[in-house]
Amino acid sequence: MPRKTKGAAKPGGFVQTTVEIEGRTETRIVEIPAFEPAAWGTDAELGIVGARVPRMDAPERVSGRARYTTDIVRPGMLHAAIVRSTIPRGTIRSLDASRARAMPGVLDVLGPGDAPAGTRLFGREIFYAGQPIAAVCAATGHAARSAAHAIAVEYDTLPFAVTFEDATAKDAPKVRAKGNVMENAPLVISRGDMDAGLKAADVIVRREYRTPVQLHTALEPHGAVAEWEGDRLTVWESTQGIFRVRENVSKALGISLSKVRVIKDYMGGGFGAKNGAGPHTYVAALFAKRQGRAVRCINDREAEQTDSGNRPSSTQRVTIGAKKDGTLTAIFASIDVPLGISGWEGGPGQIYHELYACPNVRTEETFAYVNASGMAAFRGPGYVEGAFGLESAMNALAKELKLDPVAFRVKNFAKREPRTDRPYSGNSLLQCYKEGAEVFGWSTNDQRPMTNDRLRVGKGMAAQVWPTGGGPPAYALVRMNSDATVDVLAGTQDLGTGARTVLSQIAAESLGAKLSDVRAIIGDTQSLPYTGNSWGSMTTASVGPAVRMAAEDARRQLFEAAGAMFDAAPDALEARDSRIVVRDTDRTMTFAEVTAKLGNVMIIGKGSRGPNPADTAIMTFGAQFAEVEVDLDTGIVRVLRIVAAHDAGRIINPTLAESQLEGGIIQGLGYALFEERVLDRRLGLVMNPTIHDYKIPTMADIPLIDAFFVAGADPVANHTGARGIAEPPMIPAAPAIAAAVSDAIGADVTEIPLTPWRVLAAIAAKARR
Amino acid sequence: MRLTVNGRVHTLDSALPLSLLELLRDRLALTGTKFVCGRGECGACTVQLDGETVYSCLTLAEACDGATVLTVEGLAPGGGEPSLSPLQRAFIAKDAAQCGFCTPGQLMAAHTLLARNPHPTDDEIRSGMSGNLCRCGTYPKILAAVRAVADGEFAGSAGSAEAGSAEAGSVNAA
Ligand code: FES
Ligand code: FES
Repeated sequence: MPRKTKGAAKPGGFVQTTVEIEGRTETRIVEIPAFEPAAWGTDAELGIVGARVPRMDAPERVSGRARYTTDIVRPGMLHAAIVRSTIPRGTIRSLDASRARAMPGVLDVLGPGDAPAGTRLFGREIFYAGQPIAAVCAATGHAARSAAHAIAVEYDTLPFAVTFEDATAKDAPKVRAKGNVMENAPLVISRGDMDAGLKAADVIVRREYRTPVQLHTALEPHGAVAEWEGDRLTVWESTQGIFRVRENVSKALGISLSKVRVIKDYMGGGFGAKNGAGPHTYVAALFAKRQGRAVRCINDREAEQTDSGNRPSSTQRVTIGAKKDGTLTAIFASIDVPLGISGWEGGPGQIYHELYACPNVRTEETFAYVNASGMAAFRGPGYVEGAFGLESAMNALAKELKLDPVAFRVKNFAKREPRTDRPYSGNSLLQCYKEGAEVFGWSTNDQRPMTNDRLRVGKGMAAQVWPTGGGPPAYALVRMNSDATVDVLAGTQDLGTGARTVLSQIAAESLGAKLSDVRAIIGDTQSLPYTGNSWGSMTTASVGPAVRMAAEDARRQLFEAAGAMFDAAPDALEARDSRIVVRDTDRTMTFAEVTAKLGNVMIIGKGSRGPNPADTAIMTFGAQFAEVEVDLDTGIVRVLRIVAAHDAGRIINPTLAESQLEGGIIQGLGYALFEERVLDRRLGLVMNPTIHDYKIPTMADIPLIDAFFVAGADPVANHTGARGIAEPPMIPAAPAIAAAVSDAIGADVTEIPLTPWRVLAAIAAKARR
Repeated sequence: MRLTVNGRVHTLDSALPLSLLELLRDRLALTGTKFVCGRGECGACTVQLDGETVYSCLTLAEACDGATVLTVEGLAPGGGEPSLSPLQRAFIAKDAAQCGFCTPGQLMAAHTLLARNPHPTDDEIRSGMSGNLCRCGTYPKILAAVRAVADGEFAGSAGSAEAGSAEAGSVNAA
């Protein structure tokens, strides 16, 4: 969301604005749209926007017709497999592909020195286990994989570090060419006076919290199909950002942007890990060029679990203090994050500054590089980790203060965004607390039903904030066909989030068309206007307004045309259900009658996303309540119930939005209870690179989930009134569940996932005291 | 070897060193069935083999001589929307598919579950479906969809698979 907008905001002109994406800030030059529709306010009378419309591409998804990148077959297509390092640090002494080359079906091998520098592939120096070191191209996937195994590699090993402690020790090995710690460490964000804040506190709580490395584990792995036609390259890619893949490929291979076309139709999940091109993309493109045939390169599951991004682990040493009445006086956290071999500072610190109105807040974050695969954005990056520390500490402090955790949070509610002291575009967090607590029965349900001596029930809660304004640039076209059907054209992506449906709803509403006549065409850089990545929960809030504007533009043209046919003034016309009415008369005409008369004269509306309001914080909020049952003998935790109340402004489609909430909660439940990449400190290898050993929730783990939105629309944020929702529900789930476990066993829990042995250890530690 | 897939008989080279999944996807171009782990850990490749739920990634193609296989493409005979099965219609109505990558396997597991036990309890659905992973977290909706079909909510071949999109046109009235 922009904090500063410079230059005069003339319609049709350009201004400089600041946009926040996943916690990072970018300055951009953006266009002020020639006209902007009036915002749909809270009381706007809308029929299709806000309706529980079934997902429009669901028939494709349930019939097996939806084509994912792994399903793309091109004439004469070949297959590629990537060979990966089996050591964490060293150099390749020799790589012998002679046996592989001789195997049936094998056509080509790429090894050290064979890839253009821009791809940063196949160097001789090894920085982590799983690093691509060579690739094979063969007639079948089988042949390619077998040949990949037949490549013999000899290494000279070097000392390595895979933990934060090892990488930052005094005599630490060189993790990479540049330093082991991110420049300018620690990253300090601070407001107020920490010493004064701590002095003013009546009660202070100090804790150390730890969170694990979490793996995205999208069921469809990263993959690409590449095909050349002369000097033009087409890439089918399972991605959250077709235009970013295009840019990556263009840079890496040194070809101009317009010669690269990226297509993504359906994809099997992304969750932040699929935001650009990867080794599989470059390998497919390079082999395709060399062989003159299309090449498919799909990660196998082990590559997916070891080298496709992750949520980095964290250690958070938290000190927070408050007055007896619950007024927060100080929040401090010193945070260590081992990023992997690469990454960015989307760390746990930010949420400490944003969730509560505390005058004195300071975070010190140190990001270290370690010899493990690099991190990637993962649903609510930084905020998910940070919320576990901050919200767990808040719950511990509430207990010390003998205050109700909800009342304690209400007391410290921030009326303005506290980090930058800006007003919110809208904020219904208090309503989330209230309605969530009511539905959960937070204050009434205080008994601890015990089925027997072993099973204890507990409850806990946590809150959430996440920047979700979206922003420019994003463009859309709305085209009326001569059969009166409507195409929405936008170069965006549907990750399974429902973007096709939501954008179609916005277009149908604005144009007055029947939803069943509207189709969203997305996912092709060649034929569709630019929109950004589907990350940061920003697709609806970024692309939605552009679609609305395009549809309004199309309606204006339609009314001009119909006005001429009706002999009526265009502004005397109204449209609904694909039918035009002359206001206050009984004269009507269907869209089809108008387009039939127009024949091949087309109506094409154009829309763009305008800048966000200046100096305004656009955020999504929520509170979650958990009830768990803990078996004191085995340490097994069962989540019985989750109630989630969130505020994301206007909800375009409640059914799809609730699915997003449930999905986020379930990934948060996995994070709280099971999910942890195990990286052996002495071997430097991932010990659980399969879905069997890396546990994600199954249907048997799912509690009753009551997830809903508090009513509202946010006309200040943008003219559709919608903010983002995909990431927020993941943020408070783990601390709410951990608080419930803590309540059940009567002891603090400070490290997730809460595997049975960790729970037993917490029970034992309490018994020893 | 002979193999019946979705009612169609195929005569194939019997020495195929393939899994049933590879046979379906690569030879018969039935790409609805998905490959995720290849080791019996996720259920994305679930199909029905002679009335049983199997992981097609762990089933040797050669061992299927004379067998009858049903895949997601066979749930809606004709493939067209008007003939979507009750389960498919329920999955649409309850929003049980997000990215949809696990969905074919989920549908096949649920299809066989209901064929064997038309009136399962919620717990029976949970345990019967817990071999099929979904990373998007559609589990509550899948449970609701299977529950609804078991309760007869989607009974009858009731044509309108457009339950999804066609109804959409009438939301104006909502
Ligand atoms: S692909 Fe067969 S069980 Fe995972
Ligand atoms: S719907 Fe995406 S994995 Fe199940």
